[in-house]
Amino acid sequence: MQISTRTSNDIHIVGISGSLDSTTSPEAQKSLDAVLAGAKKVALDFSQLDYISSAGLRILLGAAKQLRAKGGTLGMFGLNQSVREVFDISGFSSILPVYQSEAEALGAL
Amino acid sequence: MRHEFRMSVGADPAGVREVNAAFAGFAEAHALAADVRRSLNIALDELLANALSHGRTGRDPCSVTVEVGLDQDQVTVTVTDNGTPFDPFERDAPDTTLSVEERPIGGLGLHLVGQLMDQVSYQRREGHNVVVLVKRLVNG
Repeated sequence: MQISTRTSNDIHIVGISGSLDSTTSPEAQKSLDAVLAGAKKVALDFSQLDYISSAGLRILLGAAKQLRAKGGTLGMFGLNQSVREVFDISGFSSILPVYQSEAEALGAL
Repeated sequence: MRHEFRMSVGADPAGVREVNAAFAGFAEAHALAADVRRSLNIALDELLANALSHGRTGRDPCSVTVEVGLDQDQVTVTVTDNGTPFDPFERDAPDTTLSVEERPIGGLGLHLVGQLMDQVSYQRREGHNVVVLVKRLVNG
């Protein structure tokens, strides 16, 4: 798992590649916390994310709650079929905004 | 022809990483389709994380044995641990319609396993928890 961060105007874009599971989530949590401290709008780039398990979902929900509490938003784009399936099963597709592309995410957030 | 591997690890993060690495090698060697591999990756992670949090024998972490068998039309994964009795599939499904604010953090993992696999079963056998998962290969 690798994490990269960049910004576009006031939107922080966090790219997560590899897997987001019980072994990688603690490190992902730390990186994400550092971004969340100074951000209101965060877009997660999942175009290089292989799969996500519930340990990863837990981090996303925590981040969404944190951002929402300060009037911010969390969106994501670039989901592969497996990540999309996990989002559908868990109901995350209906509570977190999922965009088709980076451009769409940046325009909407 | 059946291909298989079997390994035993401690129920700790290092053990989970060992299983992940072995499964990745197995999936690559036998050219498992990406969607099947990913579903199995997720199911393995959920079951091992579950063994980590529930499967203690007294003060010691339990040990977990993972067996993966690839047949022509399906992959069978058997996860056996010597922890306290725990049926991962007897819990009620979580409410997946709650909003971000209402959602409890957690409780989704074993629900995912049940949905991603074609068959799941649990047995308590000779002091061990035995979970068997089956994922069918669409073009097998």
